[in-house]
Amino acid sequence: MNVKIGLEIHCRIETKSKMFCSCPSDVEKARPNEFTCPICLGFPGSKPKANIEAIKKALMIAKALNCKISEVVLFSRKSYFYCDLAKNYQISQFEMPLGRNGYVELSNKKIRIKEIHIEEDPAKLVHVGKSINEAEYVLIDYNRSGIPLVEIVTEPDFSSTKEVREFLSKLSSILEHLGVYDPMKEASMRVDANVSIEGGERIEIKNITGFANVEKALSYEIARQYSLIKTGVKVERETRHWDEKMKATVSLRKKEVEEDYGYIFDPDLVKIETTGLIKEIENRMPELPDERIKRFVRDYGILEEQAKVIILVDKKLADFFEECAKIYKDYRKLARWVVVDLLKCLNWNNIRIGQSKVEKEKFVKLLEMIDRKVITERLAKEIIKEFVATGKDPEKIVEEKGLQPVGKEDIENVVELVLKENQKAVEDYMNGNEVALNFLVGVALKKLKTRGDPKLIKSLLIEKIKSLNS
Amino acid sequence: MKVRSVREFLEEAKSESFDLDGFLEKVVRSCKKIQEEYSPFITIVEKPSKSKNRGKLPYLPISVKDNICTKGIQTTAGSKILEGYIPPFDATCVENVLREGGLIIGKTAMDEFGFGTFTTNCYYSIPKNPIDKRRVCGGSSGGAACLTLAADFPHIAIAQSTGGSIACPSSFTGTVGLTPTYGLVSRFGLIDYANSLDKIGCIGKEVYDVALLLSIIAGYDEKDSTSINKEKTDYTKFLEENVKGLKVAIPREYFEGVDQEISQRVWDGIKILERIGIEYEEVSLPLTRYALPSYYIIAMAEASTNLAKFCGLRYGLSLELKGNFNEYFSEVREVGFGEEAKRRVMLGTFVRMAGYRDAYYLKALKVRKLIINEFKKVFSKFDAIVAPTMPIVAPRFEDVEKLEPVEVYMMDVLTVPPELAGLPNISIPCGYVRNLPVGMHLIGDHFQEGKILKIAYNFEREWRK
Repeated sequence: MNVKIGLEIHCRIETKSKMFCSCPSDVEKARPNEFTCPICLGFPGSKPKANIEAIKKALMIAKALNCKISEVVLFSRKSYFYCDLAKNYQISQFEMPLGRNGYVELSNKKIRIKEIHIEEDPAKLVHVGKSINEAEYVLIDYNRSGIPLVEIVTEPDFSSTKEVREFLSKLSSILEHLGVYDPMKEASMRVDANVSIEGGERIEIKNITGFANVEKALSYEIARQYSLIKTGVKVERETRHWDEKMKATVSLRKKEVEEDYGYIFDPDLVKIETTGLIKEIENRMPELPDERIKRFVRDYGILEEQAKVIILVDKKLADFFEECAKIYKDYRKLARWVVVDLLKCLNWNNIRIGQSKVEKEKFVKLLEMIDRKVITERLAKEIIKEFVATGKDPEKIVEEKGLQPVGKEDIENVVELVLKENQKAVEDYMNGNEVALNFLVGVALKKLKTRGDPKLIKSLLIEKIKSLNS
Repeated sequence: MKVRSVREFLEEAKSESFDLDGFLEKVVRSCKKIQEEYSPFITIVEKPSKSKNRGKLPYLPISVKDNICTKGIQTTAGSKILEGYIPPFDATCVENVLREGGLIIGKTAMDEFGFGTFTTNCYYSIPKNPIDKRRVCGGSSGGAACLTLAADFPHIAIAQSTGGSIACPSSFTGTVGLTPTYGLVSRFGLIDYANSLDKIGCIGKEVYDVALLLSIIAGYDEKDSTSINKEKTDYTKFLEENVKGLKVAIPREYFEGVDQEISQRVWDGIKILERIGIEYEEVSLPLTRYALPSYYIIAMAEASTNLAKFCGLRYGLSLELKGNFNEYFSEVREVGFGEEAKRRVMLGTFVRMAGYRDAYYLKALKVRKLIINEFKKVFSKFDAIVAPTMPIVAPRFEDVEKLEPVEVYMMDVLTVPPELAGLPNISIPCGYVRNLPVGMHLIGDHFQEGKILKIAYNFEREWRK
């Protein structure tokens, strides 16, 4: 079954002010409609003025995505009536997008970037009460109106949701490395996806927020289309919407023809040459994920797969790794703990490293405690859960939970107790059931609050059972 | 009673003994009387705010076309859809006037959003020509020209032109109308008709007045990206300069289809120019005929997007909230826009639709470039172009009513080419036909306002003799 997916990704560019006015763009904490002015409200007589800083940042993105960059920046009016548009047209780019013909390298293929252009974000609509199709009324928050966006359009080069996921996390990492994007902000990345399956028409899913939702929406949509085709129903062109609550795509409208946006050049904005700007940003281009992965492998001697995870999941995680590496020299161990346990706990808590209370000194302390055999690896895996959730000093966690190291005598006492209390398992083991032994180790560990080396416990158990026998 | 000239008044107003309150009262009373008689206003400001700063325009009454935003004063662009709209900010040109001590006395009538040639496409008042009340004032800055002529107090009007909206009413009322180079005066605060063509300018009783006001309103404004970064200039300084040896071009095409008597008056004017030492030569501008269609395509394409924002959500006309968004805004626009506005929205939407865009909108942009080049060639040899401003004198209201929309658009045939090219131009009276004034149009190269102003000034002096 041949699946074809293309993406249009809208990404907020981090700037001090909005794209065409001087209102602050850091609107997360503002009251609704607090950061607005006659320009982003589209008042008669107001005129937009292009934010050069936003253009520079968009240029950095175009460059990082290997695009051919336009010699001039020209803006167009994309006309359509919708209540989130202050002017009933959106200032965007049409004839000459900022960048064209770029690509992003994935592990098994190249995804071609068709174009990247700058535009202004519409206002935020709050559908009161129900879903998008049923809400009785809608509130409009213009704080978001005019926030700079880039739209990145890929060719339909994806053939699975897995590739989409890899692409999005790489793209996000690239943008973070460029310092132009904050994944923590509300709706900082929104995706429209075009999906078609061999034998069916193209379906567009609009406005999916968040990576996880993109994957869910695509999986759902592929399954839906597949079952339609299988039962002989024709997949017709339409625009659908991902309903997070229903966990399904819902039809918004049938789409017989391409929408006609009646583009004209925005006559309020002048053309801006890019040559000078490109020179300026070339000096500002930071190390990007691909180079950083190579450097991690080279300088830290960690596995490429680990480097990829650390860098592509979250730039801040990579920064955290490097900070830790300054004070902890067993890089491989560090990588393993970051990639497996730290990440797992962050995901479990549904936070990113930047949001967590994890401090590098304390994290390193945890690893050193393992090295000094104060705790076992196994216990450390337990402690890290609380550590990530609370940011508490691992030593303190040990102390509070009474997890101080146990001596051999303590272990022997526990082993004896376990043997006494689990006669049945002992018998099973003696009758040749190896699993019973593992069970006994587990019970002992539990009594020891995961302290004590399981190997040691095991050997003590065997020894004691043998002595019982003789 | 002899009306004091602006120049005389400014001398008086400098004096400490100047009776401002008495003067203001007289001006407001006079405005009301003029309104009754000719209705040039949409809004009369009863209590103009007085600047502490006397500046360069101390207490000088200034009227503002109603598509230019005035903070705290209703601004409608002549449309019902903006009835009662009070802008929260001043247009940059208004700010400049206030800073120099001018008084904003009212907002002048216009065709809705500037869509017209006679100031008859009006939701509010339709100004009558003070020369003959049965006749129109021209448009779309008709109220500005009407008031300029009728005012029995010193006054200059801030007007605005997209395709001849200053020159035309000046020609029909025998006043002086200056449209500067595109980008010389900030458009910030101007309610857009066609942003790549809109120019704010002035109408005055004499050349000095428009030169003075231009000096105040021209200048770079960072709030308008299309505003040109150019040093502040005092345009009155050019007026007394010698014009001997300047050369003007007379384009043959601009006399075709023009009322014979009007052509004659303009030729009389050219002879006066010759008398004051200006040489002339006939030239041909063969692309002239393409200017009008290109202009209307670009203007309407832009206008149709500009008008989209008026949907009854944030300002202006609002109706009972009924139906979905599409139904609601359609109703608001149905009720709020006049016929010509609707026509231009539809035509403008058509020429930018996929499939027609290349043939109309993009082609028109190319033609505009060619026309600019044609003008540039003329200006490499000549200092200015001289032509009739309008092919007719002010028509009667009843005759205007009979015109089809396209016939109305044709009336702009002479003013549109320079306006499409963004060239500065000035219309000055050069004679009368059947007792109705005839305007002579002086067109200059980009940013050569000084040159056309000084030709106009010297001409005016000679003509008045």
